[in-house]
Amino acid sequence: MSTIAGGRAARRQTMRAIRPRRSPAVPLLVALWAGAAGVIWMWWTNTPSIADNSGRILNAGRITGLLAGYLMALVVLQMARVPALERRVGSDRVARWHAMTGRYTICLVLAHLFLTMWGYALQAGTGLGGIVRQTVDSVQQLPDVGKAAIGTGLLLLIGLISIGPIRRRLSYDLWYHVHLLTYAATYLSFWHQLSTGNEFVAQAWARTAWYVLYGSVTALVIWYRIITPIRLNMRHRLRVEAVVEETPGIVSVLMTGRKLHRMGAAAGQFFRWRFLAPGMRLSSHPYSLSAAPRPNMLRITVKAIGDHSSALRDLRPGTRVWAEGPYGALTADRRSRGKVLLVAGGVGITPMRALFETLPGAAGDLTLLYRANSTQDLALWDELAQIAEERGARLMYAVNSPEGERPDISADTLRRKLPDIDRHDVFMCGPPGFAQQVYEALRGAGVPARRIHHESFEM
Amino acid sequence: MHTLRRRSPLRRIVLASAATVTGTVLLLSMKPHTTPHIVTAAPAPSASASVPAGSGGSGADRSGGSAATGTKTVTGDSAPTRYGPVQVRITVRKGKLTDVTAVTYPQENPRDQEINGYAVPQLRREALAAQSADIDVVSGATYTSQGYQQSLQSALDSMGG
Repeated sequence: MSTIAGGRAARRQTMRAIRPRRSPAVPLLVALWAGAAGVIWMWWTNTPSIADNSGRILNAGRITGLLAGYLMALVVLQMARVPALERRVGSDRVARWHAMTGRYTICLVLAHLFLTMWGYALQAGTGLGGIVRQTVDSVQQLPDVGKAAIGTGLLLLIGLISIGPIRRRLSYDLWYHVHLLTYAATYLSFWHQLSTGNEFVAQAWARTAWYVLYGSVTALVIWYRIITPIRLNMRHRLRVEAVVEETPGIVSVLMTGRKLHRMGAAAGQFFRWRFLAPGMRLSSHPYSLSAAPRPNMLRITVKAIGDHSSALRDLRPGTRVWAEGPYGALTADRRSRGKVLLVAGGVGITPMRALFETLPGAAGDLTLLYRANSTQDLALWDELAQIAEERGARLMYAVNSPEGERPDISADTLRRKLPDIDRHDVFMCGPPGFAQQVYEALRGAGVPARRIHHESFEM
Repeated sequence: MHTLRRRSPLRRIVLASAATVTGTVLLLSMKPHTTPHIVTAAPAPSASASVPAGSGGSGADRSGGSAATGTKTVTGDSAPTRYGPVQVRITVRKGKLTDVTAVTYPQENPRDQEINGYAVPQLRREALAAQSADIDVVSGATYTSQGYQQSLQSALDSMGG
């Protein structure tokens, strides 16, 4: 900001800088439903009549199978790191869509399998007991069904390791790499759809539509998950410059590279980082930028919770870094009003720190509320105080009392501290329980839900 | 819907399942229920397709026939194909294959009916000429042909054994 001055002129200037962008979530969801309707249409036009019970069961199997095939493509698309999804809808929201669609797709696949085999068993004159026999026969005799069976097995494995309690017992790396088998599962189950699906055998346009759907998803995956990161890293060549301990257990990693301001990163966004050091090459982890990107410097600040984050402390200067991003939609684009309240819980300060520095606003427009266990845990505090002073922004913290009592964050206290809180946009980052508590307090204080901007990677 | 609004996952599961089941049942119920047997063009005089799909898929069953005239009828295994099961019944008189009837074959939609309308009579002619299941695949009806061969072979096997 060139000038830091109060008054109406400054506020008008701020408001001109605010152009809230709408999330494309609604049109995308409409397109999703339209696609599902199109898939049902494929079945509808190809099925003139249904004869008997076996026909009913088989057709139910066909409908569930077609929907599962359609959703499989979307499940992969949701993780293709398409910028419109990652940066506009928000990586966290898309990840939740992905989890939801994935679970539903596995259910559809199982329904499809069961109904189809049951239908075959009925046609063969046996009841439910013939299902196993029909399954074995189909795998042996029908084209590509063997491959599809392997694909289904992989899908079930992936679904299994993603169930909450099992997921929490596995290391992130194992879970992630097993998850990559989704591509194999999708490929293996694709072919039986074309070679045994009535709709595709009989209707050339349906075949074309399927090739276009799966082909474009494949192209997006190759472009955004492989080619884009390669180009990004060839261009910017990131290296670790220094590792700084901020508070006990919280470290900042400073990175240099070429033309970093042209990486397209905004304050509040994150990258997936892979440090090319022994033992760390295999996995990439998402960490937010803890300062606005500068032409020659990027910084992340990380709390040592897992193996990976603890190992960051020992990174040597000069270590090469592979980054993918920027991702995340918790940026200034979300803002719709002049005044902004930033709420940070613990290490959730990182994106808030970057936003606190760069969000356009006149003196008095910005407030940052920082929650930590104790004053020693207020990482980056000195910088925050300096920014607050330079920008005329307000900085507040809430820590536990010496007796360990939690600070009171309720609708009343929030309203007392910020009487016009209902005229603020709120950006929030912190652990789930904290975010939930603050959300409810904010709603109680009259902040509309659409002005509470929050990113959470909890499923 | 805000990400932090409390939602019950159970509610979502129940809603999604109920919507899927209702939608599918609704779609199925909107289709006319015609029996495929009515629209079938009988492919050959003796190979009437109007016999309801009967005997089970496990093991060919020896049915009827009198030792006196030396005529035996055997129904083969139901052979699943990608478009539905194929099952044939054979008649053997004095060790000679005299007739093959397709009891079940795919005829659910007009395309199946069209293809199998010419394929089934041709397969029957081939089988009678070859006196075995060693018959050529009818082009355009590969799967029906394979199912036909399989079911025919199982019928011949159980006749022999």
